[in-house]
Amino acid sequence: MARMHKSLYNVGALLKGLATTFGFMFVRRPTIEYPSVKKQHAPRFHGLHELRRYADAKERCIGCELCAVACPANAITVIGAENTPQDRRSPGERYAARYEIDELRCIFCGMCEEACPTDAIVLTPRFEMAGLRRGAFVYAKDRLLVPPTEGVGTAPDERPNGIPSDLGRVAEIKSTTDVQTGYDATNRGTILKKQRKGLAG
Amino acid sequence: MAEQPQSVSVNIDGAKISVPKGTLLVEAAKLVQKEIPVYCYHPKLGPAGLCRICLVEIEGMPKLQIACNTPVTDGMVVHTYNDKVNAGRRAVLEFFLLNHPLDCPICDKGGECDLQDFSMAYGQGASRLAEPKVSKPKAVDLGPTIVLDEERCIVCQRCVRFDDIITGERSLIVKDRGYRDIIATATDDPYRSNFSGNVTELCPVGALTSKTYRFKSRPWDLHRTTTTCTQCAVGCQMQVDERVGEVARTMSIPDDDAVSDGWLCDRGRYNIGFYRDERRLQTPLYRVDGQWTQVGWDDAFALWAKALREAVASGGEQSVGVLGGGRLLNEEAYLLQHLFRSLGVRNLDWRAGTQRQATPGSNAGSLQDLENAQAIVLVGESPAQLAPVMDLRIRKAVSRHRAKLIRVGAIDPLPVVACTTLESAAEVPKALPAGAERVALVWDGVDPKLAREVVAALSDFSGLKTFIASGQNNARGAEVMGMHPAFGPGFAEVDGGKDFSGMVAAARSHSLRALSIFGANPALHYPDGVAIREALRNVPFLAVADLFLTETAQAANLVLPACGGFEKTGTTVNVTAVALPVNAALEPPEGALTDLEMLGCLARALEVQLPSVTELENSVIKHLVATAPSFGLGDAKVCGTTQFGQASRTGGPKLIARTDIFSGGGTVAHDGRIESLRPLPEAAVSPACAQQLGLSTGDCCDLRSGDQTMHDLLVEVRPGLADDVVVVVAGLPDDPANALGFEPVAELINVRRARELAPVGVSP
Ligand code: SF4
Ligand code: SF4
Ligand code: SF4
Ligand code: SF4
Ligand code: FES
Repeated sequence: MARMHKSLYNVGALLKGLATTFGFMFVRRPTIEYPSVKKQHAPRFHGLHELRRYADAKERCIGCELCAVACPANAITVIGAENTPQDRRSPGERYAARYEIDELRCIFCGMCEEACPTDAIVLTPRFEMAGLRRGAFVYAKDRLLVPPTEGVGTAPDERPNGIPSDLGRVAEIKSTTDVQTGYDATNRGTILKKQRKGLAG
Repeated sequence: MAEQPQSVSVNIDGAKISVPKGTLLVEAAKLVQKEIPVYCYHPKLGPAGLCRICLVEIEGMPKLQIACNTPVTDGMVVHTYNDKVNAGRRAVLEFFLLNHPLDCPICDKGGECDLQDFSMAYGQGASRLAEPKVSKPKAVDLGPTIVLDEERCIVCQRCVRFDDIITGERSLIVKDRGYRDIIATATDDPYRSNFSGNVTELCPVGALTSKTYRFKSRPWDLHRTTTTCTQCAVGCQMQVDERVGEVARTMSIPDDDAVSDGWLCDRGRYNIGFYRDERRLQTPLYRVDGQWTQVGWDDAFALWAKALREAVASGGEQSVGVLGGGRLLNEEAYLLQHLFRSLGVRNLDWRAGTQRQATPGSNAGSLQDLENAQAIVLVGESPAQLAPVMDLRIRKAVSRHRAKLIRVGAIDPLPVVACTTLESAAEVPKALPAGAERVALVWDGVDPKLAREVVAALSDFSGLKTFIASGQNNARGAEVMGMHPAFGPGFAEVDGGKDFSGMVAAARSHSLRALSIFGANPALHYPDGVAIREALRNVPFLAVADLFLTETAQAANLVLPACGGFEKTGTTVNVTAVALPVNAALEPPEGALTDLEMLGCLARALEVQLPSVTELENSVIKHLVATAPSFGLGDAKVCGTTQFGQASRTGGPKLIARTDIFSGGGTVAHDGRIESLRPLPEAAVSPACAQQLGLSTGDCCDLRSGDQTMHDLLVEVRPGLADDVVVVVAGLPDDPANALGFEPVAELINVRRARELAPVGVSP
């Protein structure tokens, strides 16, 4: 009697399991045909980094290393250098002569993005970075920086919610002529005062 | 006289402390570990009362007081941190930040900036200013070494006061007033000083930055090592900040009162780019039929040992010579003489240039003696260019302790501080201030006869302290370690050998068969350029260990890549016999060996038994602490018979070569970062001489002596020179002052007027 009861119980378990299996036949498949179909990411998905530009194609990055010091994984190396009037890469005096992120170290936390005072470094939704060598995952400016022909960078548009640290400043600075630059030192205060007095600026 | 200073007791934040009367509150607070923020105050510059950040509350006083300029009084009760004080500091900071650009992300000071730190500690976060900020020029070129950001300056005047109080040069000023004030030079000329780098350290904000360090790094990236500067014999303590295998910058140690007094000269601070210069030697080079071939270290040692053995076999021990030590560490110098003396070689010397002696012997003084002297007698060249930070002590003695400065046998420009120039040693005692007891004598080590005369003239002064300012950082160490033809380690008398000029003479007569040179460049610094070139050509085997293919190394058969001062560990002895630690801050390039390693390997190849590391350290320490030698300045035994600088005064002005901190063919010539600081080849003459020859500053001329010529020298009319001399800069690789031969009498020829010349840039 006890034996009989046990086997009946087993049949019950079997049916339950099969019900689960068959039940999934009528649910939408979670697997996607990856290379041909791509997953829709959450709006704030953190993927591969990108270094953005201003509308006049100057680099946003000023080589300040704040991203590097904010990075909990120690994945970023920045070495700054000085802009010259002949070779001006970014507004202001300093630019990143070397900018490298070790994407294998990176934990895609987005701290670099938050630390950046100029919204230069952003994490895009791009996630495809297969490689055969570890060294290939050290992304330098050649792969991080938006090519000069491709505008300011794709990241803000790809991110439905925009970049969290933007706070409207991107719209404010339209070109680098708005930004006080190192070498053409105009006296903004004096100009403004003159303007108020109705004189020519 | 020696009255006990009265002490007063003061209560700082509840901590009672008694301090000598007159102590400033800010200093007293340090003793009880209370930090009072300061901008304009600096322990070495004193109070100025300009910035008001140091506000504290003193009970019984209605208003907040500045701690930096308030001496403590008995029973004073002070609060350094409470709401009232913080409200005061907050208000002060709000004013500082009114027009401050807040460009911390691109500011070199960011991370170690007092304005950042105090704003975090006491500031109020947001500004209430609605008007636009005043903007001023950024990245202003203040001089060859310094960049000024006028917006960031908080006008604490530390830089201005440094230039006034410490260097006495007084070129910096505050220009304009109110919110328009900026730092500038009084004459609008570039800010040039041999101590300019110190202002970047003094500046509490990022207004003054070094050109060599601009944007190289951020403070938190740097790996810091404390070591000794190995550029001259002062041996300033310094911090070497390394990043990605490169020296990013060097910093002084502000409380190094004993040696550097907290300062560095620009040579020590800025001449750091050569460590990673691409011209650095990375592999031993051997010359076969006039062609350089790279060889491995094993082969290099085998070749070297074979050449030494053959030289000893064919010409005896006396046909082998060694030069070096002045730029080596004590351990290396000891091992060097040990190795060669074990082979029976007696021709050992460190003196590649004109300096004959480095150890003052009896009467040797300390830097504090120099600072406290009532009269300072400079014999020969002043330390201003040889051992620059030593000159700051002299300036301090003169400007703050009212010492009298006298110079004899002077060849260099007039000192910054007031000075009496004398013609002969006999006049010295009369020129001393009445009642002077503490007299300091600073000799450049070149003319032993003159030194002996001055010492004899001053023999009545029992308080006489003597100093020898060496340009080579460890000249004194080399002497005490026995790199001297007449003395072994600890000045033990040994069988005399040839000094370097003896070796040069022997080489010219083909009796020197092998010469090994360690860290010396006699081709550029030996006073007789004609003789040294012939000597180096004639030696059948010349081995040179150096960082670069210097003028000397170019003449060698075997060149060995060596390591610089930041790449090795050991000790040196400074100008006042203080033993100082040298700590490696940098990895040497692959393929270079320290001289210590080289000597060890060479000893193995020669089958010479060397002391163990412990034995070596013990012997070095033993000789370092050995009692001071009994000889005096210009001692015949130490200086030998060679004497440079005596001219037969006929047929035209006498040629004198002076030092410049940025001359030299090794580390300075191979440092791209400081190219613009290298001196231009000049010919300086006195105003009378200029008038007689019809010259004026800015003209261009050549100098000729016999069949040798120095080309394209800029004429400089310099008051304070003798009328029968023309002074050129020694050690310029492109225009070596020794090219004209030994003690030449020079002729100024081919004078071109300034107006006929194209404008001269600082450097091409
Ligand atoms: S996302 Fe995070 S881990 Fe990755 S580089 Fe940025 S800060 Fe570093
Ligand atoms: S990406 Fe941003 S934070 Fe990083 S160095 Fe450039 S400007 Fe600075
Ligand atoms: S430049 Fe620096 S040190 Fe000089 S006054 Fe300004 S803030 Fe002070
Ligand atoms: S004075 Fe001499 S030891 Fe001091 S920093 Fe200058 S070169 Fe170095
Ligand atoms: S530190 Fe006291 S007023 Fe500046």
